[in-house]
Amino acid sequence: MRRSVSIAVLLVALGLGIAGMGAGTGSFTASAQQNPETTEVKIDNFSFGPGTLTVPVGTTITWTNRDDIPHTVVSTEGVFKSKVLDTDEKFSFTFSKAGSYPYFCSIHPKMTGKVVVQ
Amino acid sequence: MSANPFDIRTVLLAKHAQHVVLIHFPIALFTAAVALDYLGHWTKSRTLAAAAYFNLLLAAVSTVPVVATGLAAWQWALERQKLKGILLMHLVLGCISSVLIWIVFWIHFRVHRHPEESLPKYRLPIEAFAVFVVGLTGHLGGFLSGVNGPG
Repeated sequence: MRRSVSIAVLLVALGLGIAGMGAGTGSFTASAQQNPETTEVKIDNFSFGPGTLTVPVGTTITWTNRDDIPHTVVSTEGVFKSKVLDTDEKFSFTFSKAGSYPYFCSIHPKMTGKVVVQ
Repeated sequence: MSANPFDIRTVLLAKHAQHVVLIHFPIALFTAAVALDYLGHWTKSRTLAAAAYFNLLLAAVSTVPVVATGLAAWQWALERQKLKGILLMHLVLGCISSVLIWIVFWIHFRVHRHPEESLPKYRLPIEAFAVFVVGLTGHLGGFLSGVNGPG
């Protein structure tokens, strides 16, 4: 009798543990879907900061123009292109594929940056 | 980024409408004209005065395409960005510069038509002020184009 109770307790504990792991995984997946990673790149003093950014697939990057001068964010390979961004205007793009994405400011081509998606 | 610099389309279809290229003509011609006029005034040289006049003529004429391409660059390269800050100052000073260049040319033109008259001395401070405004306009334009930016 005592042995059966112990086995029952163990089974219940095991069941609770498995349920807990499942629930944990479920909540992790849900939170990842609800809050995809976002990263900001500042445009200031005629440069992108950080100049090179490495992010996981699915990351949304937001560029914000903190300069007094209009700038653009244009992919060298034509993957994305912003309108001309005035001071404090933003441009966002979600990177859904792995790869290297160099970009530049079409008004000031010396300004370059790169996003590496892994 | 890998555009061929010898492709004529890179010249004709440039979004800056060649404003950044043409702007150097009135700046150089007007600055040279003022320098020649000052030299001509001090040395009483008619040759230098004539050289100043023709430089002024070309400087004044070249302001027309420069203003036009400046507006085109604002339209195409900057997609009609709000006129404020450095962009607004550049536009206003650019217009003032053009007017000053034409005023200086007009002063010289009137005397050129009546050789018996001599150039008024009040033109000299106007010319100096105009050179200052032209220089300031160019400096701000350099910021907009990134030439005067850091690095």
